[in-house]
Amino acid sequence: MVKMTLIARVTDGLPLAEGLDDGRDLPDSDMYKQQVKALFKNLSRGHNEASRMSVETGPYVFHYIIEGRVCYLTMCDRSYPKKLAFQYLEDLRNEFERVNGPNIETAARPYAFIKFDTFIQKTKKLYQDTRTQRNISKLNDELYEVHQIMTRNVQEVLGVGEKLDQVSEMSSRLTSESRIYADKAKDLNRQALIRKWAPVAIVLGVVFLLFWVKNKLW
Amino acid sequence: MILQLRVKSSSGHDLKPIAAVESVSCCASSRPFPLSHSLRAIVNMENQGYPNFQARPPPSSSSPFASAPPPGVRPQSGGPETVGFRPPTRPFTPSAPPVAPPVGAMRPFQSPLVSQIPGQGIRPPPPPPSSNSFPSTTYGPPGGGSFQRFPTPPPPSGPPPPQTLAGHLSPPMSLRPQQPMGPPPQSMTSGVPGGYASPPPAPGFQQSMPPVNPSYPGVGGPPQPSFPGYPSNQVLQGPPSSYPPQTGGFAQHPGQQNMHPSYAPPTSTVQALAEDFNSLSLTNIPGSLEPGLDRASFPRPLDGDVEPNSFAEMYPMNCHSRYLRLTTSAIPSSQSLASRWHLPLGAVVCPLAEAPEGEEVPLIDFGSSGIIRCRRCRTYVNPYVTFTDSGRKWRCNICSMLNDVPGEYFSHLDATGRRMDMDQRPELTKGSVEIIAPTEYMVRPPMPPIYFFLIDVSFSAAKSGMLQVAAQTIKSCLDNLPGYPRTQIGFITYDSTLHFYNMKSSLSQPQMMVVSDLDDIFVPLPDDLLVNLSESRNVVEAFLDSLPLMFQNNVNVESAFGPALKAAYMVMNQLGGKLLIFQNSLPSLGAGRLKLRGEDPRVYGTDKEYTLRVAEDNFYKQMAADCTKFQIGINVYAFSDKYTDIASLGTLSKYTGGQVYYYPGFQSSIHGDKLRHELARDLTRETAWESVMRIRCGKGIRFSSYHGNFMLRSTDLLALPAVDCDKAYAMQLTLEETLLTTPTVYFQVALLYTASCGERRIRVHTAVAPVVTDLGEMYRQADTGSIVSVYTRLAIEKTLSGKLDDARNVIQQKIVKALREYRNLHSVQHRLGSRLIYPESLKFLPLYGLAICKSTPLQGGPADASLDERCAAGFTMMSLPVKKLLKLLYPNVFRVDEWLLKPSADLDDLKDVLKRLPLAAENLDSRGLYIYDDGFRLVLWFGRMLSPDIAKNLLGADFAAELSRVTLQEQENGMSKKLMRLIKKVRENDQSYHPMCFLVRQGEQPREGFLFLRYLIEDQMGGSTSYVDWILQIHRHVQQNA
Repeated sequence: MVKMTLIARVTDGLPLAEGLDDGRDLPDSDMYKQQVKALFKNLSRGHNEASRMSVETGPYVFHYIIEGRVCYLTMCDRSYPKKLAFQYLEDLRNEFERVNGPNIETAARPYAFIKFDTFIQKTKKLYQDTRTQRNISKLNDELYEVHQIMTRNVQEVLGVGEKLDQVSEMSSRLTSESRIYADKAKDLNRQALIRKWAPVAIVLGVVFLLFWVKNKLW
Repeated sequence: MILQLRVKSSSGHDLKPIAAVESVSCCASSRPFPLSHSLRAIVNMENQGYPNFQARPPPSSSSPFASAPPPGVRPQSGGPETVGFRPPTRPFTPSAPPVAPPVGAMRPFQSPLVSQIPGQGIRPPPPPPSSNSFPSTTYGPPGGGSFQRFPTPPPPSGPPPPQTLAGHLSPPMSLRPQQPMGPPPQSMTSGVPGGYASPPPAPGFQQSMPPVNPSYPGVGGPPQPSFPGYPSNQVLQGPPSSYPPQTGGFAQHPGQQNMHPSYAPPTSTVQALAEDFNSLSLTNIPGSLEPGLDRASFPRPLDGDVEPNSFAEMYPMNCHSRYLRLTTSAIPSSQSLASRWHLPLGAVVCPLAEAPEGEEVPLIDFGSSGIIRCRRCRTYVNPYVTFTDSGRKWRCNICSMLNDVPGEYFSHLDATGRRMDMDQRPELTKGSVEIIAPTEYMVRPPMPPIYFFLIDVSFSAAKSGMLQVAAQTIKSCLDNLPGYPRTQIGFITYDSTLHFYNMKSSLSQPQMMVVSDLDDIFVPLPDDLLVNLSESRNVVEAFLDSLPLMFQNNVNVESAFGPALKAAYMVMNQLGGKLLIFQNSLPSLGAGRLKLRGEDPRVYGTDKEYTLRVAEDNFYKQMAADCTKFQIGINVYAFSDKYTDIASLGTLSKYTGGQVYYYPGFQSSIHGDKLRHELARDLTRETAWESVMRIRCGKGIRFSSYHGNFMLRSTDLLALPAVDCDKAYAMQLTLEETLLTTPTVYFQVALLYTASCGERRIRVHTAVAPVVTDLGEMYRQADTGSIVSVYTRLAIEKTLSGKLDDARNVIQQKIVKALREYRNLHSVQHRLGSRLIYPESLKFLPLYGLAICKSTPLQGGPADASLDERCAAGFTMMSLPVKKLLKLLYPNVFRVDEWLLKPSADLDDLKDVLKRLPLAAENLDSRGLYIYDDGFRLVLWFGRMLSPDIAKNLLGADFAAELSRVTLQEQENGMSKKLMRLIKKVRENDQSYHPMCFLVRQGEQPREGFLFLRYLIEDQMGGSTSYVDWILQIHRHVQQNA
């Protein structure tokens, strides 16, 4: 069963529309909304390129699709068929693009298309009950393939950005340290050279000196 | 003192010394002091030698000394002067007295000259007042006036200053040199400004010279020698820019010195000055009332509300007074001063007031830069912030914090420090703007407009026709509800059971579900009780069509109001919205059941009297608090002819920012139009949803109490689930610091709300007011309208915790205290004798005070108004904007029969023909036809000897019948049409309520009494006082201990 629905612009994470009474009888809906926002932020930074994904969080799953730089996201129970959830998002996408398509890029204020919430509301009701004939037939419809959609955990997803940051930080540290290493190696090399040839040079020097002195004196 | 003087002479720019001298030398110094406005204050000071006067720098303003003493008085000023001088000296060492006067006197001359010369030499034409530097602009103009006023040249007779002073005194001598110096001292740079508005000093100056010179010799030969050296110094001095902080409004004002020129002309021009002075519009001439004088001369607000506009002109970037009105546009600089101002210090805010065509509040989108706000005090960017550091930083005008300008908002500054893009930025030029809020200002997506109706369908509802009218009206408004296509709507009806309606869009007829378990309310359907109007339109219409029929034969007289309210709350609490309750009888079942109480005359006059006027059951306050939390605003419509405990029901509205509409004894044939109009207005006016409001003000002051219909969420955050243009809120200020050091105080009202279209917006109103050190100035800038508004609210609140009598006395005492203080201010200077004096700005205050005491919530005793009427009027008056409140307090009465007889008269000349009359029976001619209009009711009063033709024309065949049974209808003749057009026009002028029309004939008792005569507030009725008596009472009290 669909718990909440959000539509946001991928480029900057700007929320465009949201289901009307999202979070009804959901005790910690605020926390999930925070997660969704974090997710959008991640998306806007270019992580998670996959255009379709399911993300598990607690007893629920976020399903989202990204089409035309807009992300349609819904939160459902884990038991809710994935297929239906994505069908639902597809329905939203078709309608949203039809109605607001040309204006998406120019929207400047948050929830610029809040009027879309009535459609969300309506569509949501159609998908509320998984056992209606309509939904069962959709479930059986093999045309829409959802098997290869990746499922990941929300911590993972939200952590990806963090981890990437760590990696890049580590690699940059590696670079700088290797440079230091190279410098030191060069230095060592020189010292080794000196150590190796210094005695010989000294001996030769002494010899030449002796020769020179001998020539001078005699 | 000496020390200070010295400083002054030697330290070019530093004004401080000057100020110090002034304060020290009191009147003497002040007089000379150029700041024109100060004159008046000075005069006052002189006479009284008030303690505070030390602080008193040149504050105040433009308004001329209103007290406009008779011409004869003026010459005397010399006399008072000597008197005046004394006080100043007090602070000094005893020996000082003789010295002081001369010093003070001299001072003026010097400074004026100095400043004047440079100014003129450099830029002869008066520079346009710079908008940012208020002081200069503000005060400038008055300068002219003051200039003339400056009455006394330094008294030639003054005792010669002691030698030590000589050096300091010498500055005055500089007068002469100055002319040569004319070419300009560089020092002038600091502030050329507005001060120049004053008349060219030159002529005056010349004239003045002669008198001056003579006087100087007396003062001191010694100074002369020093003279040559002076010029340069003086010049520098002239422009000093920093007054000591206490100086109040003037502090740091660069333009100040410019004012000096005005003084130059000493005595010779005094007479001319007097006239000038009188002509100034702001003058507050203490009026005089001789007891027993003819009543006609008493002040009456027959021209309606006078908006305070003096400061609107000086601070053109202030928001319009319809949004924010201060009780006085001059903020006291110290707590001691504030404590002498016995009137309320505060403001009345109407954040969404309707703006006339063309003055809409501009809408701004800051886009990616985010909203520009001060980091520390969260003030929104406004016209009074200053940009510095070549545009990279801006200084908050409220807390002086230096903030960074975001890159996207950056703009270069031009030579004068203005941003280049000023013209494209309404938020930097307009006092009122609306800003589109980004996501940070939303806890959830913007809610859709939601209207939920809770309708009592018990026996009386059907019988009175209320159901019919309400259903029709709602249906006719469906097209105009704001927020299409998101608007949601829902209904619950109730009698002894609750009826829910499933309005699912796929149904053709609504399904009714009945819940009869009142103890354990549940909502039978999760969805579809609150539906999207555009989708379920057909079902909703079908429901409204059938509603009156469904219950027309209902004989149930019970009312399960409490449970119904709970059910509505459960349906709405997901989203919030507006809940309209139609209540026909006393709630009798379930939680929140109310008892018949009140109407017991024995309780009146006892200490328990007030309990009748507050909610009986805590249930109501609790529900109101819960509703506010979930953004539900409640409007109560009450219709019963019997007691319905409006006090309790109204509590719901009071704490949810709603309104109470009361139609006692509703009959659809009589009240139908009124309900139709007011319900339609309620449903269709632009409404701000889920809003919060906060008002910020400068450091050192704080808003301490709020009055109106709302819930206070934290100490200063007003929660307003639904707010519209007909709601106003009053608040009072306190000074937190003993002394305000800033020259001005800024106020910023911010209302964060969701517009019906689904946009989250912030409406910001910014205003500035000067800080003054002079009580007289505060009186001069007082705004009767907002003072009355605050008083009304205080009085009504007082009735909720005390007796009516007490509330009325409080009003009277407050007025008395204020007038007494004012009298003290002037008593020395004028021989007041038995006159009552009051400032021009407050001339209507006593009358409005009387009107408050005679208004429905406060009037008389138990017999004068039913408890419900009282409470309903109280709730209404708590939220009325200033103008409407004043009209209700002092209604319009005008005579129309002559106008009706005039053949050609057109509606255009309404204003000329329909002159407002004083509200006293003696002004009514029994041959006339009068209209009384208080914004809520229209009464047509037919004089006993009114020509029968007119009555016949207007009333048709019924003209001789008893008027209580006649309704006014348009007849087939020009006169009747004309009258109907007039009434229509009156109604259109103010849409917020629909005044019902009553007809009454002279002598038709008791109707005439309670419909009309009772509201002639200047007359004595029953136990109430007449205007004359009231004035006499006040006067007597004022004189006691005066």
